[in-house]
Amino acid sequence: MATRTEAVNTAAIVRQSLQGRRFSLGGVAFEAGLLLMLLVSLAILVTLLADIITGALPVFRDRGLDFVTSGITLDSATAGVWTALLGSVGISVIVAIVAFPLGLGAAVYLEEYAPDNAFTRFIQTNIRNLAGVPSIVYGLLGLAVFVRMVDLIGLGGSDSTGGRNIIAAGITLAVLVLPIVIITASEALRAVPDTIREAGLGVGATRWEVVRHHVLPSAAPGVLTGTVLALARAFGETAPLLVIGVATGFFSAGSAGVFDRLTGTYTALPVVVLSWSRQADPAFKENLAPAAILVLLVVLFAANTAAVILRNKYDRKW
Amino acid sequence: MTELRPHFHEELAQLESDLVLMGEQASQMIADALGALVRSDAEAARAVIDHDDVVDDLYLAVHERWLATMALQTPVAIDLRLMSVILHVNSHLERIADLAVTIAKITELSQGLPHDPTVMSHLQEMGDIVSTMVRTVMEAFTNRDLDTALSLPEMDRPVNRLNRKMVRKVVKLAEETDLLEWGVRMTVVSRTLERAGDNAVDIAEQTAFLLTGEFREFTDASHHD
Amino acid sequence: MGNQVAEAPRLAGSDATDVASVPMTVTVSDRSEPVADNPAIFEVDRLNVHYGDFHAVKDVSLGIRKNEITALIGPSGCGKSTVLRCFNRMNDLIEIARVSGSIQYHGVDLYGPEVDPVQVRRHIGMVFQKPNPFPKSIYDNVAFGPKIAGFEGSMDDLVEEALTKAALWDEVKDKLEGSAYALSGGQQQRLCIARAIATSPDVVLMDEPASALDPIATLRIEDLMQGLKEDYSIVIVTHNMQQAARVSDRTAFFTVDMEQTGQRTGVLVEFDETSKIFTNPGEKRTEDYITGRFG
Repeated sequence: MATRTEAVNTAAIVRQSLQGRRFSLGGVAFEAGLLLMLLVSLAILVTLLADIITGALPVFRDRGLDFVTSGITLDSATAGVWTALLGSVGISVIVAIVAFPLGLGAAVYLEEYAPDNAFTRFIQTNIRNLAGVPSIVYGLLGLAVFVRMVDLIGLGGSDSTGGRNIIAAGITLAVLVLPIVIITASEALRAVPDTIREAGLGVGATRWEVVRHHVLPSAAPGVLTGTVLALARAFGETAPLLVIGVATGFFSAGSAGVFDRLTGTYTALPVVVLSWSRQADPAFKENLAPAAILVLLVVLFAANTAAVILRNKYDRKW
Repeated sequence: MTELRPHFHEELAQLESDLVLMGEQASQMIADALGALVRSDAEAARAVIDHDDVVDDLYLAVHERWLATMALQTPVAIDLRLMSVILHVNSHLERIADLAVTIAKITELSQGLPHDPTVMSHLQEMGDIVSTMVRTVMEAFTNRDLDTALSLPEMDRPVNRLNRKMVRKVVKLAEETDLLEWGVRMTVVSRTLERAGDNAVDIAEQTAFLLTGEFREFTDASHHD
Repeated sequence: MGNQVAEAPRLAGSDATDVASVPMTVTVSDRSEPVADNPAIFEVDRLNVHYGDFHAVKDVSLGIRKNEITALIGPSGCGKSTVLRCFNRMNDLIEIARVSGSIQYHGVDLYGPEVDPVQVRRHIGMVFQKPNPFPKSIYDNVAFGPKIAGFEGSMDDLVEEALTKAALWDEVKDKLEGSAYALSGGQQQRLCIARAIATSPDVVLMDEPASALDPIATLRIEDLMQGLKEDYSIVIVTHNMQQAARVSDRTAFFTVDMEQTGQRTGVLVEFDETSKIFTNPGEKRTEDYITGRFG
C-alpha cells in the first residue's frame, strides 16, 4: 500500500517538474534579430534587382532580343551587347583553357604528392594570399607581361592593339582566378576520404592509379563547381580589363574573322555596363546599362545552373 | 593496478567461501558419523543424515552460481582453471558428505549388534585421518599451497592399508564368533572411508592443477601402492 | 616481386576437390588443430618501427605460418596495427615512419631495395577496420585490383569467384552494377574481403575487421575466415579477446612498455598456440591482460 502512494507522489512531483515552459526573452530576441538580418540582406538584393529590372524592361519590351544581337552603336535606340557578349565569352573560354588544367594540376600535386613540410605549407599560404590580391594588380601584371608576350609571339593583332586583345585578357584573368581554382580543387580533393586512398593502395594500385580512378572521379563535382565559380568571377571582372586595354567606346569588328576578333580590339559586358552608365544620354544610363546588367546576370545565372546540373549528374549518390 | 572486474572477483570469492563451508561440513560429518558408529548412537547417526540437506543445498547453490558466472564472465586462463576446479571440488565434497551419510545409515542398521573393539578402533583411526585429510586439503586449496596438496597421497596410505586388511580381519572374526553380520557391515564402512579418502586426494589433484596448469593423477585405481 | 615475372593472377584454391568425394571420418574437434610443420610465410626478426623520434614498436620477432589465422592482441597503443601494416608496407605511406630489422616473406626481404611496395600489396591484401568500398559499383570494386594488375582472363568469372569466396555472391549476384554503398555494413565488409582476395594474394591482413559491425555480421565474418584459411594465410588485429580466442590458431600478445624515456613503446610479450594462451599462458602479463586484471 505504501508503495502505491509513493508511486503516486513521485508521479505528481515529476509531472510538476516537467511542466511549464521556461520563457527566454533572450532566445526569442536573438532569433528575431537573426531573422531581421536575413530580411535586410534579402531586401537589399530585391531592391537592387527591382531597380535593374524596372530600368531594363523598356528596352526588352520595345526591342526584345534585338538588344542582345546588335553591336555597339552611339545610338541608344540601336545599341546592343552582342560584341561585348562575344568578347566576354571569348575571354571565359580562354580562362577555362588556361586556368582549369593549371589549377587542377597544381591542386592535385599539392594534395596528393607534395610532402607535408614547411615549404608546402608556405606555398599554400601564398596561394591563399594571391586569391585576395586586388584584381587591378593583375591588370598591371597583364599589361606589363601578357600583353607584350602575346604581341611578341605574333598574336598581337593586325591593328594597333599591340597585344591588347582577348588572348591577353584571357590569360590575365586566368591568372587572377587561378588561386581560386587551386583552392576549391584542393578542398574538393581533401574532401575525398583517406580511407578510399588507403583502400586503393591496399589492392596494389600506384598513387597515380588511385588518383586517376578514385580520387579525381570522387572530387569531380567539387572541382567542377569551383571552376564554374572561378569563371563566373572572371566574367564579371572589369578593372583588370581597363588596365590592359579594352575598348570602352564605340567600335565595330565588322566582318572580321575569328583570328582577327581574337587578336584585335575587343570589349566585354561589364566594361560596356561601365561605359554606358557614364554616357550623357540618359537612355544609356537608365535603360541600356541596366539591360546589359540583366544580360550579365542571366548569363551568370545560367552558368551556375549548368554547374549545379553538371554536379548533380556526376555526383551520383553512391 | 586498478581493480577491474570486481563483480567477477566477488563471484569467485563467494564460490570459494561456499566450498570452504562445504568442506567444514563434510569433514565434521565424517567425524560425527564415526563417533556415532563407535558409540552405537542412533540419534547422532540420524543427525548426520539430516545434516546432509545443508550440504546438498550448498552444492546446488554453488552449481547455479557457477553456471551464471561461466555464462556471463567468460573466464579464461587461471580464472578458467579455477572454475574447472571449483566444479570438481563441489562434486567431490558433496560425495564425501554422502559417504558420511552411508556410514551413519550403517550405524542405524547395526543397532543392537555385537561388535569387536579392535575393528572399531581401526575404523576410528581411519575416520580421524579422513576427516583431517578433508580439512587439510581444503586449507591447501584456500591458501593455494602446493606442497600441502602434494602431501595428501601420503596421508591416504594408512587409510588404504587399513582398508585392505579389513576384509581378512572380518573373515577371521566371523570364523570364531557370531559377528558376521556386523563384520560385513564394517567392511562396507571401511570401503566407504577409503572412498572418502580418495575423494580428498582428488581435491588435492585439482588444487595442483590450479596451481601448475598441468593435470596429474596422484593415485590411479589401476595402480596399487 | 624482385626478379619474379609477374603472372596473371588466378584465384588460389580453384582446383579444390569435390567435397562429396571425401570419405566421412570421425573428427574429435571442430577446429582443425594447427599443423606443427606448417611452413612459415613471414619470418620477423627484431622488427623496430619509429615514427620520427617516437619508438613505436621494439624488437618484435615471430613467424606467421601458412594457412593459419594469427591474431595480434593487446591494449591500445601497443603497436599491433603498426606491426600489421609492416607486412604490406602500408607504413611506407607515413613519411616519418622508419622500419628496421627484417621481415622475410617466403624468404625474400620485404624491405629489400629491389622490392616494389605496389607489387607487395598485390600479394598481401588488406581489409580495414571501417568498411571502405570504392564509390563505384559492386562489380567495379572487385574488378579494380585485377584490372590494374593486368588481368586478361574473364573478369566476370573472377568477380563471381571472389564474391563467392567472400560469402556474398548470392546476395549481390542480381545487382552487381548497383552501388557498393547500398549494401549493409556487414555486406560492405565482405565486399572489401572479396576485393582483397580478387588479386589472388596468399596473405590477407585484417585490421579489426569486425569492430564496426553488429554481432551477427561479426560472426559471419569469423565464419568466413575459417573458410578462407584453406586458401590464404590470415593475420588479424583485434581488440576483442573472445574473437581472437574463437577464430585464431596462434595468438601474439603485445603490450606497452614504458621505457626510461617515458615513451609508450609496443613490445611482443608472448606468442603461442591460441588454446595455450587462453588456458595457461606462460607470461604473467599475458594472463593479467586476458583475465582483465590489467588496469
